[in-house]
Formats: sequence, C-alpha cells, structure tokens
Amino acid sequence: MAANPINEIRLEDMDNIALGGAFLGTGGGGDPYIGRLMSEQAIRENGPVKVLNVDSLDDDALVVPIAMMGAPTVMLEKLPRGDEARAALTSLENYLGHKADAVFCIEAGGLNSTIPIAVAASAKLPIIDGDGMGRAFPELQMVSMTIQNIAACPMVIADEKGNSLVLNTVDNLSTEKFARVITVEMGGTGLVALYPMTGAEAKKAVLRGSLSLIHSIGKIIYTEQSVNRNPAERLKSELNGISLFEGRVIDVERRTEGGFARGMAKIEGIGTHDGNTLILRFQNEFLMAETKQGEVRAMTPDLICLLDLETGSPITTEQIRYGFRVIVFGLPCDPQWRSEKGLELVGPRYFGYDQEYAPIESINC
Amino acid sequence: MDESLRQVTAEDLEAIEIGAAILGTGGGGNPYIGKLRCRKELRKGRQINIIPLHELSDDAWVVSLGGIGAPVVGVEKIEQGEECLRALYALEEETGHKIDAVISSEIGGANAMEPMLTGAQAGIPVVDGDGMGRAFPEMQMCTWSIYGHKSTPSAMADEKGSIIIIRDTTSEIALERFARATVVEMGAAGAIALAPMRGSFVKRYAIPNTVTQALQLGQSVLESQINNSDPISTILEKEDGQLLMTGKIIDLERHLKGGFAVGHVNVEGFGDFHGKLGEIYLQNEFLVFKLDGEVRACVPDLIIVLEADTGLPITTEMLRYGQRVAILVLPCHDLLRSEEALGVIGPAAFGYPEIIYTPLVRNSSREGN
Repeated sequence: MAANPINEIRLEDMDNIALGGAFLGTGGGGDPYIGRLMSEQAIRENGPVKVLNVDSLDDDALVVPIAMMGAPTVMLEKLPRGDEARAALTSLENYLGHKADAVFCIEAGGLNSTIPIAVAASAKLPIIDGDGMGRAFPELQMVSMTIQNIAACPMVIADEKGNSLVLNTVDNLSTEKFARVITVEMGGTGLVALYPMTGAEAKKAVLRGSLSLIHSIGKIIYTEQSVNRNPAERLKSELNGISLFEGRVIDVERRTEGGFARGMAKIEGIGTHDGNTLILRFQNEFLMAETKQGEVRAMTPDLICLLDLETGSPITTEQIRYGFRVIVFGLPCDPQWRSEKGLELVGPRYFGYDQEYAPIESINC
Repeated sequence: MDESLRQVTAEDLEAIEIGAAILGTGGGGNPYIGKLRCRKELRKGRQINIIPLHELSDDAWVVSLGGIGAPVVGVEKIEQGEECLRALYALEEETGHKIDAVISSEIGGANAMEPMLTGAQAGIPVVDGDGMGRAFPEMQMCTWSIYGHKSTPSAMADEKGSIIIIRDTTSEIALERFARATVVEMGAAGAIALAPMRGSFVKRYAIPNTVTQALQLGQSVLESQINNSDPISTILEKEDGQLLMTGKIIDLERHLKGGFAVGHVNVEGFGDFHGKLGEIYLQNEFLVFKLDGEVRACVPDLIIVLEADTGLPITTEMLRYGQRVAILVLPCHDLLRSEEALGVIGPAAFGYPEIIYTPLVRNSSREGN
C-alpha cells in the first residue's frame, strides 16, 4: 500500500496512529488506548512532533528507538507513570555523553507506536518515519538492527518507581535475556531506550515509512467505521491482505509467564467458515494460526491480525475474550524476515514450533 | 593489633582460605578457586597489599565487591577470573571516581578472596575489614547498607563479558532483587561492585581487621594439625566462642528455594552431648541452632560447623549424613547487634520472629575483633 507520507504528528493524528499501530502489532505492542492518551498529553503540552525521513539524517546523528517492554497483560493494570520513557532516554544520553538527534519506534503496536511520539514531543526531537520490525515481535533482538549487526547495547531500562539499569552485554540475544528478567523484577514491564545508532546505521536498518503506513491504516479503520462499514474489506484490498477466518472465540488460555503473555485462543467458524475451528497461538503477538487438525494457515514472521467482526478494531492478545466475534486477517511480512537470517531470528522454529516456514501467500493461494 | 597483615603471601592464602571458610558460617561459597587465582597473581609478580582501616584516608574512594550467586553453582561454573575487575572498571567509568582501595563485602567464604584478587590485578590495596564479619545470603545485609550507604550505582559482570549497571533503585532491597534476577540470568554466578564509599564511612562501619582475623584463625587450625592439638578449643579460645555440641549428622534436608540453599540438619550428640538432639536451620548460612528443642544460638552470631577431628569447616553444600561434627558459636561484632542491624539480619528477618536474639556474651573483654 502506498501510504501518504506524514511530515508532522498533530493531536488529531493520534487516534489513527494508535489504532493503526495496534493493527500492525499483530496482537502485541500494547494497548492503543493508554499509548494514545500519553502521546496526546505530550503533544498538547509541547506541540506537534516533526516526522523525518531516515535518509535526511546526518550520518553521524544519534538515533535511539524507545519502547515499552514486558507482558501486555501487565501493561493493562500497571500503567506507566509517564516520564520514565523520557528518563530512560536521558539516562542513555548521559551514558553515551551525546544528545539524541531523533527517536523512532522499535516496532508497530498500540503502545510502542505511540510512546516514542510522547518522548519525541517532550524532548522536542523529531521522530523517524520507520521502525525495526514492520510489525511487532515479542523479543528485543527480533529487529532489522540485529540483521544489520547493530548492537542493542548500551541499553537503559527504567520503571515507574525510579529503578534504572544500564545493560552492556555480549550480544543482542543475551540483552533480551537480561532485560526480560529485569522487567519481571520491575513487576512485568519497563521502559527501554536501546539500539543507539548513527544516522548511517539507521539508514541501513530502519524499515521505511511505517509511521505513515500505520497512520493510513488507522485512517481507513476510522473512515470505514464512520460510515458503518467493516474496514476489513478495504484493508484487505489496500494491504494485499488475506482473510483467514471468521468466527467466535470459544476458548482463551492466557498466562503471564517468563515476562510474556503466552497462550492460545480457539475460534469457532461462522458464515462460510461454519463447522471449522481455528486456533491462534501467541507469545505477546500472534505467532501461529492453525486448524483443529493441525493444518497451518499462517505463521510467524507473517502477520496474523485479529479484528472485531463488527467494528474492525484490532484486538490485542491481552484483550481477547470468550464470545468475541472476530476476523482473522493475514499479511505478508517485510521481505527481510524471509531471509535465512530473518527466519533464524523470528521463524517458527525459534518459537518452538516444529514447522518449516511457508509464506502466507503460498499457503492460502 | 601490631601483628596485622601487610602483604599476603602464598602461605597466608592457605590460612585465609580456612579462616574465611570458618567465618562463612556454612555459606559464602568455597574460597578454593579464589585462592588459586590469587596464587597465580602472586606468581606473576603482583602483590596483595593490605591496608589497615586506620590508615585509610577519609576521602579515599573504597569499593566493596565480590561474587554473587548460588555457591553450589560457583563450584561447577568456574569464574573466568576478571569478573570483579571488570565490574570495578565499569563502576569507575560510571561514577568517574578513581578507586583507591577495595574491601570485601563479606569475609566469610569465597568473597574473602575476590577483593585480594581484584586488588592484585588492579594494583590497589585491600582494606583489612569487611561488610559482614561473616557471610549472609543477601546484599542489603552488609553494614554499608544497614548504616545508610546507597549502593547504587552498582556494576555487575559475568564470565562472558556482559556488564549490567544498576544505576538507581528505590531501596537497598530493590538493588538486591535486581542483582539477584540478573545473576540468575548470568547462570547463577557473577560479580558485583557496589557504589564507592568514602574512607571515613568505611572506617566507621566496616567490621574491622577481618582479613587478619581469617588469617589467624586459619593459622591456628593449621598449627594444631601439625602439633596434633585440638583445633576446636584453640578456635574457641581465640575467638571467645562456645562449643554448642559435638555429634553425628543423622538427618539432612536441603533444597534450592528462590536461589538459596534452604534446609535443616539433625545431629545426634556424642561425648558430653550423648543423648541430646541438635538441630540446625540454614539458608545458605547456618541461621539457628537448637539443642533438644531449645534455641541456643542464632543470627547474627556465628554458628559454625567443623569436622570434629580436623577442625576444618563444613559448608552447607558439603554436609553429609554420618559426618562427625563440632558445632560452635562465635560472637558477632557489635555493629551487627544494633537495633538497625537486627532488623535486617536478626532472626525475625530470616523468618524466625519467635526467636529473640540474645547476644552471646564474650568471656573476656576484647577490643576490635
């Protein structure tokens, strides 16, 4: 989809970005409501945020992605205090002895597409139109930066109580392991500033245009909702999406485990899918969609998005409830994830599924 | 004390190893590997210099450091050797202070050796004292924390090269929690260096002369082995302690819980204690001793289990059915007996609210250690 590039994020854009972020978040990336409120407040206090094309950065600029890390189930109850993301960035700047020139979103998601905007507004920094995943993934090493050999460290992790730590580990996977146990100790979530990189590195690693794309997706959802149409049809045609299933949630199994929200949701088909059952498996994000017979319909790293059947609003993994009527929607992932290195990071085997990756288009042609 | 230690020799290391293990009160990890590392440094021509507390200048920067983790793991996952040094350097970089001396966070067990190793590697002296005068399972249990030092920023290092800086925490206990979670991810053994302290603070709140104390304890055990004299009575006399019991271990229950070795030992008396039943409760260290159901000793006084014949200390992970042991109690330093201290390291803090700590009375009045 050719999204109209945005140059500035104003107050009225936040609805679209939060919703579009939640859609591309494939069930993860946090609740769009809290993220929207936080960034709206920051924009109201500090004015609109400038959006930059990554290619316009100086090669020696300092660029830092910012995110919330942890279990989305916890984020619902343990709200950020508000200034800890900014504190994480400041702490990282102090460590590096450098001020950041721009921030960006590490992933798409209701919260993780919006928190960096809040930080950008309060620190009066521009935000880059791009991200590190083109979707959301549960672990911090699962980003284009890792593919480009950019280190996650030094990384700062801070919480709402005032605890903060600096990580300097040997590789990005070990950064994830340390940061994860620390988020657990923080009560399940923390705010992180990581992958400090130069403009030159950002040009190699950032997946371009994701903020604009998220904005356009949100806009489609709102526009369609306002005329009482389900946005799924337009999203499908605009994004080359694949409708995988329609049905009613008949079982949800969800636990907050090892710092993640893990579990599965069982959906009983309705309409043309009557008589069939689809099972979604998740670890913060939806990773696997398979029939009751074990036939895979979509798998990580392709995007599995869950939408409300009536409103078309995205449903995150921590919000699925028994009885929800839903559409399961699939999208092909960014091509980098289909490379050998990409699949090693985020393919089904990394998550413990004994499956060879098959692209969603070839499974559902 | 004029006979205090100035420079540690290879022979001194042998004695300190034994003395530190005795002061470990069952925990603190095995000083053996640290001893070997220190010996290697000496062989390379480096020095382990000891500085008595009173010679420390008031504005010196002193860092308390040591290993952190489960002692059982330290036996299998052997340290690379420069973990504490890397943690020290990371801390210097974080704080911008050049560190003048190191000090042990706990003299009991493996952490008696770590500052000597780091001191030799970094070329700075080791202060003759420590933060516990024994061993305790958690970091907020050292005198630095008890008497108001803010231990952040702290730097942690593992054998693979990872550095974690705990920049700020809401309390000393929060620091302990984050450090513990981090060390579990390190494979349950790592090093930590705590925020630098001023010399004036260390002089006031360190348990004094404990490196010398460990050395002398070890020397008396070694000497009694050579002379075939009874090491237990030598220790008791030297340290003003009491014999709680001699007996044979007849039951042992020990499991890992929340990263700690927790359990309970039953001892059947022999000799003067024939017909009596002793019980020891432990969490990494020996916490409480009961004789026939009655509490005879508890933290923060030092409960020590020695092999009855050799006088060599037995750590909690080395306890076995059938061992013949002598159980001793030594008085802890007064810094551990204040109200503030007992709130953190008294029996109630370890889950024994029913036990009221009664300080073990010293037979003679002695200054310092």
